[in-house]
Amino acid sequence: MALSLQFAVSTPRQASLEISKLTPGYIASSLSLRSPSASSLHSLGTSSGIAGAVKKSSRRWRAAKTVAMAAAANEVSNRKVLIVNTNSGGHAVIGFWLAKDLVAAGHEVTVMTVGEESSDKMKKPPFSRFSELRDLGVSTVWGDPKDVGAAVGGKSFHAVLDNNGKDLDAVKPVVDWAKSQGVEQFLFISSAGIYKTSDEPPHVEGDPVKVDAGHVGVEDYISKSAFKFWSSFRPQYMTGSGNNKDCEEWFFDRIVRDKPVPIPSPGIQVTNIAHVSDLSSMITLAIGKPSASNATIFNAVSDRAVTFDGLVRLCARAAAKEAKIVHYDAKALGIDAKKAFPFRNMHFYAEPRAAKEKLGWTSSTNLSEALKERYEEYIKIGRDKKDIKFEIDDTILSKVG
Amino acid sequence: MQATDRTRLRTQAVRRVSIVTTASSDTPAKKILMMGGTRFIGVYLARLLVKAGHEVTLFTRGKTPVTQKIASETDQEYAEYSSKVKHIQGDRQDFDGMKSKIASAGFEIVYDINGREAVEVEPIIDAIPSLKQYIYCSSAGVYLKSDLLPHFEVDATDPKSRHKGKLDTEALLQSKGVPWTSIRPVYIYGPLNYNPVEEWFFHRLKAGRPIPIPNSGLQITQLGHVKDLADAFVRVLDNPTAFGQVYNISGAKYVTFAGIARACAKAGGFPTPELVHYNPKDFDFGKKKSFPLRDQHFFTSIEKAKNDLGWSPKYGLVDGLTDSYNLDFGLGTFRKAADFSTDDMILEKLGIKVAVPA
Repeated sequence: MALSLQFAVSTPRQASLEISKLTPGYIASSLSLRSPSASSLHSLGTSSGIAGAVKKSSRRWRAAKTVAMAAAANEVSNRKVLIVNTNSGGHAVIGFWLAKDLVAAGHEVTVMTVGEESSDKMKKPPFSRFSELRDLGVSTVWGDPKDVGAAVGGKSFHAVLDNNGKDLDAVKPVVDWAKSQGVEQFLFISSAGIYKTSDEPPHVEGDPVKVDAGHVGVEDYISKSAFKFWSSFRPQYMTGSGNNKDCEEWFFDRIVRDKPVPIPSPGIQVTNIAHVSDLSSMITLAIGKPSASNATIFNAVSDRAVTFDGLVRLCARAAAKEAKIVHYDAKALGIDAKKAFPFRNMHFYAEPRAAKEKLGWTSSTNLSEALKERYEEYIKIGRDKKDIKFEIDDTILSKVG
Repeated sequence: MQATDRTRLRTQAVRRVSIVTTASSDTPAKKILMMGGTRFIGVYLARLLVKAGHEVTLFTRGKTPVTQKIASETDQEYAEYSSKVKHIQGDRQDFDGMKSKIASAGFEIVYDINGREAVEVEPIIDAIPSLKQYIYCSSAGVYLKSDLLPHFEVDATDPKSRHKGKLDTEALLQSKGVPWTSIRPVYIYGPLNYNPVEEWFFHRLKAGRPIPIPNSGLQITQLGHVKDLADAFVRVLDNPTAFGQVYNISGAKYVTFAGIARACAKAGGFPTPELVHYNPKDFDFGKKKSFPLRDQHFFTSIEKAKNDLGWSPKYGLVDGLTDSYNLDFGLGTFRKAADFSTDDMILEKLGIKVAVPA
């Protein structure tokens, strides 16, 4: 459905007045929808989010926004950037999107993927799509973090991002190499999982972290390595095309097959699912504004929490289907929630406050839109036809009764 | 919050801020009419305004004394305040009577702290043609319940909410053409609070009783200290950046229900409380409330106010609750006497015995 909401705005005050008019009722009358419920309109994103759906495809809009933000904000331009990228897992997709955003912002990019180009791992996304990067002029190489120099030849870089290691063993060689090469800016993909649990969400930058966590050791080492500029980025969960690890697919698998969706009680646990472009735009800004981003830790997340139950509802709407949620007490039933459910069974919610305050970054994640795009791709590649065994689900459902 | 409009608003907000920011301490003295001002928010706000040199008149029915010394001020400070603040006695529900009382005083600013319905607000605007700004205390309760949180100011509001009157008032203000600002607090707390937020927890902690929490206790909400709220109200005064704007005002962090119980315990120097979880659907409490907060996630982003007004909350949760305990509830004062009848129903059903102190 193409939605078009237009209103003449000539002053900022008018803009905010117009936005504040966007109640579901107002939108309903503007769009002449047949008595939509407030909640179904809200499912299109927030009321003002419908304006966000105007005309532009979200992907084109995101790219345009990234370029605009980078161009408007730069301290530096035309940087030579090396991304040391993991060859698997949830963070793999970050390097893919970041490379594209950096090129759009006018930088020169090399992606060094850990391991061998001939490895079976390279048959999975995003690696299977690296020709898209090369078409943009990105140099794609393979190698060992213990010998980055060999992989990149004699190339020198202004900025190096390690999107690979979880501890000092893996990252120290990259840090030391970068230091020896006179790299100005070192950036690290850490994890929001290092925050200590708290009664007071969200996790904000500066909150206490688990001192024994591998990522903490890395952040510490980088901060003390006397780079001219350094930053660390702490992500949570990501969705987006080219993802190496399932995220929303777990929900689609069940919804499309009309299977109940088992959710650990009570279902109101909150998490943060960002579109990967939120991370790529944030890191791109940090590279374009090294002074502003220096010595700073950034939560690399969207700025909205979603509950587990809410995520089921959003995935169901994306699939245009009904979903049945079944809550279960994992502990009481002797179920290992880590195996049964894709997200941490607790409140796990960080907010990107440092990025907003220091980089002027804004989140562009529209989870409803993102899930619709992901569902289209899910169907396109035939995952709905895949034969899946739901052994753990069946155990849960039989125990719940 | 969805990207296009937020980016647009953010860009424009940056532009707005760079055009003009007027801190209230630089604002020339204004003639201010405050609807309310004798119970909670207004008690602090009126003092800040008087101190900043403005002429403040409180409009109340006179049921509560116009001024009372509060725990955090010296005798000298109280004497200064009470000698300067003015009062008009009247009933704001008597529209004609009210209009005649406020019409020719030359008020420039209205702070409406206790307005509920749009019909109460229109006569005030009509009575004061010289009005330069109408500042309204609304509520974050107007937001439509959502799976995506926190609530941002541009989010959908709920035309069926209990706070519909606040929404209608915001719409009325927009339609009247007078510069207006609306503040949407979440749960307000602090010394003098007459809504049993922290009081409810302190009663139980003092009595050494377990604290009954509905369902999981993972519900996330947000408490804001009344002094931080008063500060925000001062910052929107005569501030063109704030004209036509709504602002969420509350604490910098959110908190779970279980977390509030623990924070109150820390604030009052009590041991970690025993929490008892129950399903409210298993009980019929009649007209009584078994818990003071709405049983759902309820929290807002305050970043718009931080960006536009240069405001930020000074009180963290435990600090703020400590302030409330030390200046009010810890002194033995309270608004509502402790009523543990619903607690006892819950504990009995769950088979939990309460050790009665000797």
